[in-house]
Order: sequence, then structure tokens, then C-alpha cells
Amino acid sequence: MYWVAGGFIFRRVGSPFHSLDPRVKLLISAELFVVSLTAYSVTQLAVVMGVMLCIAAVAKILKRVGRTLVFSAGFSVFIFVINLFARQSLLTSAIYSVRFLAIIISTSLFFITTSPDELEQVMKSAHLPRDVVFAFTTAVRFIPVLMLDAIQIVDAQKSRGLEVEKGNLIKRVRKMVPVLIPLVVNSVIRSGELAEAMESRAYGAVPRPTSLNRYSSSKRDKLVAAGSLILFIITVYIYVRFPTPL
Amino acid sequence: MGEIVRVENLSFRYPEAAKFAVRDFELTIKGGEIVMLAGPSGCGKSTLLRTVNGLIPHMYTGEYLGSVSVGDHKVSEARMSELAQTVGLLFQNPENQIFMFSVERDIAFGLENLAVPPDEIRARVDEAMRQLGITDLAQRAPHELSDGQKQRVALAGVIVMRPRLIILDEPTSLLDPKTAVELVELVRRLRDETGITFLIVEHRLELLVRIADRLVVMSEGKKVLDGRPEEILADERAEAYGISIPPVSRLRNQLKRDGLPLENGFGPDELAEELNRQALKR
Ligand SMILES: Nc1ncnc2c1ncn2[C@@H]1O[C@H](COP(=O)(O)OP(=O)(O)O)[C@@H](O)[C@H]1O
Ligand SMILES: [Mg+2]
Repeated sequence: MYWVAGGFIFRRVGSPFHSLDPRVKLLISAELFVVSLTAYSVTQLAVVMGVMLCIAAVAKILKRVGRTLVFSAGFSVFIFVINLFARQSLLTSAIYSVRFLAIIISTSLFFITTSPDELEQVMKSAHLPRDVVFAFTTAVRFIPVLMLDAIQIVDAQKSRGLEVEKGNLIKRVRKMVPVLIPLVVNSVIRSGELAEAMESRAYGAVPRPTSLNRYSSSKRDKLVAAGSLILFIITVYIYVRFPTPL
Repeated sequence: MGEIVRVENLSFRYPEAAKFAVRDFELTIKGGEIVMLAGPSGCGKSTLLRTVNGLIPHMYTGEYLGSVSVGDHKVSEARMSELAQTVGLLFQNPENQIFMFSVERDIAFGLENLAVPPDEIRARVDEAMRQLGITDLAQRAPHELSDGQKQRVALAGVIVMRPRLIILDEPTSLLDPKTAVELVELVRRLRDETGITFLIVEHRLELLVRIADRLVVMSEGKKVLDGRPEEILADERAEAYGISIPPVSRLRNQLKRDGLPLENGFGPDELAEELNRQALKR
């Protein structure tokens, strides 16, 4: 349980990749996403995967990427099996399932290395409404709190004799009810208190709030962004110009 | 200093509720005072606090009679954003009033909402962190803080608004005894340094009586006692209203009933000293 919870909690890591402007990280992640989605040969997938793992290594997040992959493995196998039935080709099915993993890595590169603060900044610079941005940041802020709530409730119910780990699937799901109800009640109380606290701290007083931190992209950010764009264009060119057979 | 809070003939009933949560309430608080509010759970303390900071009637509807003024504002007519700069409310659970992902961003929240320029926000946030001794926590995430630290962060988020009145609703209920004493010391220091007025709901009387200028006792929505803490603690009626008198005060009251001419005070040391003096006189 703690292990799963850990996967959702952002940790500040100092790395050359983390310190990039979040918008640049988003750009790189989006480019890799497109390149993964449109890869159609073993070589291309291998190269894209290689590049992404290098970035993950630079960002010191190989372990967390690995953890994400473990979570997605089941779905990847599922894609493999479905394709195997539909297309009868081992190679195509393998490419489809690896491509799925590549897409997962490309997006997690952004989400693992970007703090909620930075995400908020990206959302603000995209001119999303204040309420949407705030709802998102508080949701992220309260993930660890709710996780801890859940763990404590499970422990409390266990000490009263609830055996969460026993029985078949239906029985187990039914056993989650005494955990879910207090969890929901807790969250409702919490959100009521949150609303009061927001109101008491002038939330919504002006249409355009200011921000403590002003972010600006450095020369390095601009260089990295430009470099990644050039590589992206070259890759797309190669994809189109030299279509390799599977 | 003049008057900062004036509650006049206030009654409030939540919608759907059968009884008034606060009834015929009268209260004035002078600038710079530390006023303690006590009473059994459910007697309407939190409701009264909401009427002072404006959550009632701005967020809660219901039957509202009488009037409340804070500083230059009439609460029912002022906007919440104006009130937020006059009254700060610290809720019981600090967890639920920290919204942002880092301590300094959270402290800045109220000022950001008021569109204060970034440079000024920076200066005021730094000052608030210095006042509360949490400068080294600036970059921490909420889940990396202890309960006592969370409370200081929440308090910094209130102080940064430069309010004239700070309201604390059962601030020590989630703290261990040592942290609770530290909080009380902090309140005293802030009042002495900044002249901020405090209105504090607290069950553990022995914690706050030393720094409180006044103790107000509530029962079933009404104000039943109001005076200097040592007077209230010596008042026979207090216990009947569900106030738990600290043991030392109970002993002092008993000795007085038994005929010893004692003055009003709080601590065991003071009592021991007085008893010694009396013993020597005899
Ligand atoms: N949001 C609410 N809606 C309806 N009734 C409430 C609400 N909050 C409190 N009450 C009721 O008002 C009365 C006073 O509650 P409260 O002010 O929270 O007391 P205290 O803080 O002294 O424990 C209680 O009877 C309580 O049930
Ligand atoms: Mg209360």
C-alpha cells in the first residue's frame, strides 16, 4: 500500500532535466509522445526507447519509470494478445505492445519530473480558468493525505477484525465498503473545511490573481527547446522519407 | 487602543436547525487583547467565530439577527476579501487550510488572491516566515511537515495578510503538550510585538489562562461569564457550565472556601508561595 502511494507523491530531485522550464519538459514529452505513437519499425522503437531511457537516466528517475512500466505491463500483454489474435503476426503484436510502453514512458517523463507547482504554472500559462487550475492543484496536494487516510482506516478496520486480504474477488470488494465509507465521509468534511479556509483567505477576490514566483525561461531552456525541435523534425522527416518495412 | 470587535444582540440559526446556535450574544474586544472563549462542545463557539470573520452570513445562510462589526467593517455588509485583511481565522485542523504544494506558495495564497504585486508578496511572505521561525521550511511540501509545523505555516498564511484580529479555533487540540505550550508562547510574543488582537477557543484552560486578558464562557449559544481569567476560575458557577477548572485553581478555591484569605492566581508555584507566606505569618 505504501509502495503504491509512493508512486503518486512527487519528490524533488535535483537533475539537469528537472531544472528545465516545465514548458520545455512538456514540449520534449509531447515530441517523444508523437515519435513513439508514429514509430512503426523495431529499429525506430528501439531508438526512441533508447533516447527516453537516456533522458530518464540523466533525470535520475530510472527506478520510477521502471515502476510505471511494471504497472503498465499487464495492459501491454493484453494488447499483445489481442493483436496476436487479430493479426496473427508475432512481430506486429510485439511492436504494438512495445509502442504502448513507449507512449507511457514519454508521458511519465513529464509527470515524474514536474512538480505540482510547475504543473500549475504550465496550466496558468495555457490560460486555463483559475478554478480549474486550483481544483487541479488541490487534488494533487491532497493525494498523499487521502492515501494516508485510507491506510489508517484499513489499519483501524483490520484491528477490529476486518480481513481485507481474504476471500475471492467479490468478497474482497465487499470488504472495501467499511473502508470506503469513512474515507468518503472524511473527504466530505475535509472539502467543507477547505471551502471555508479558501473563502477566509480571499479566494476569488479578483479575476486575475498574481503569483509569488515569476518564471522565465533561461538561455539553456531556449537552447534545449530549439535542439529538441530540430531533432523532432529530423525524426519525422526520416519516418516519412525512409519508410522501413516492419 | 480602541474597540476592534463589537457583537451586538447577535443570534444565528443554521438553516433547517431547530435551535439557534448563538443567542442574544453581546461581546466587545479591545485592540491588543487576548480573549479566550470556552464552553462545552456544541455550545456554539465555532459558530460565533464564523460570524466574526464573515463566513456567516457570507457563506452560510440562515436566520441572522443583530450585528457584528470588526475594525471599520460591518461584517454582514463588507466583502469577504475586505474582511480577510482584517480578521484571520485559523481552523482546528491545519491540514485542511494548506492548499499549495510548497510552504512559501501557501503562505502567499491570500496575497495572490488580492493581486498584490509579486515583489511585495515576496517581502511579506519572508517576513511572516521569519516571525514564525519557519524560514527553513520554505520549500517543503505539506506532507513533509509535522503537525506543529503545519500549524505555524497555516498561521503564517493568516499573519501575512496583516490582520488586526486573529481567531484560533481549538488550536492545540492536535498538538502534543510541548508544542501546545510553544504555540501559546508564540501567541503572546506576536501580541506583544505586533499588537494583534487574539480571540482563542481553547478547552485546556491551564494552557491559556496565563496569557489571556479575558475569559468568556459560553453555554447553549449564550454568553454566561465574562471577566478576568482568575475571577472566572474562582467563580463557583464556572464548573456548572461545563468548564473544567484546572486542579490548582480547584485547590485554591477549596482553600478559600475553607477560610484561607488567598488572592487570585493560577500556577502551583504562586499558590505554594502564598501558602508559605501565610504559614509564616501565623
Ligand atoms: N454547518 C452547520 N450546519 C448546521 N448546524 C451546525 C453547523 N455547524 C454547527 N452546527 C450546529 O450548531 C451548534 C453549535 O456548533 P458549533 O458552533 O460547532 O459548536 P462548538 O464549536 O462550540 O463545538 C451545534 O448544535 C451544531 O450541531
Ligand atoms: Mg468548534
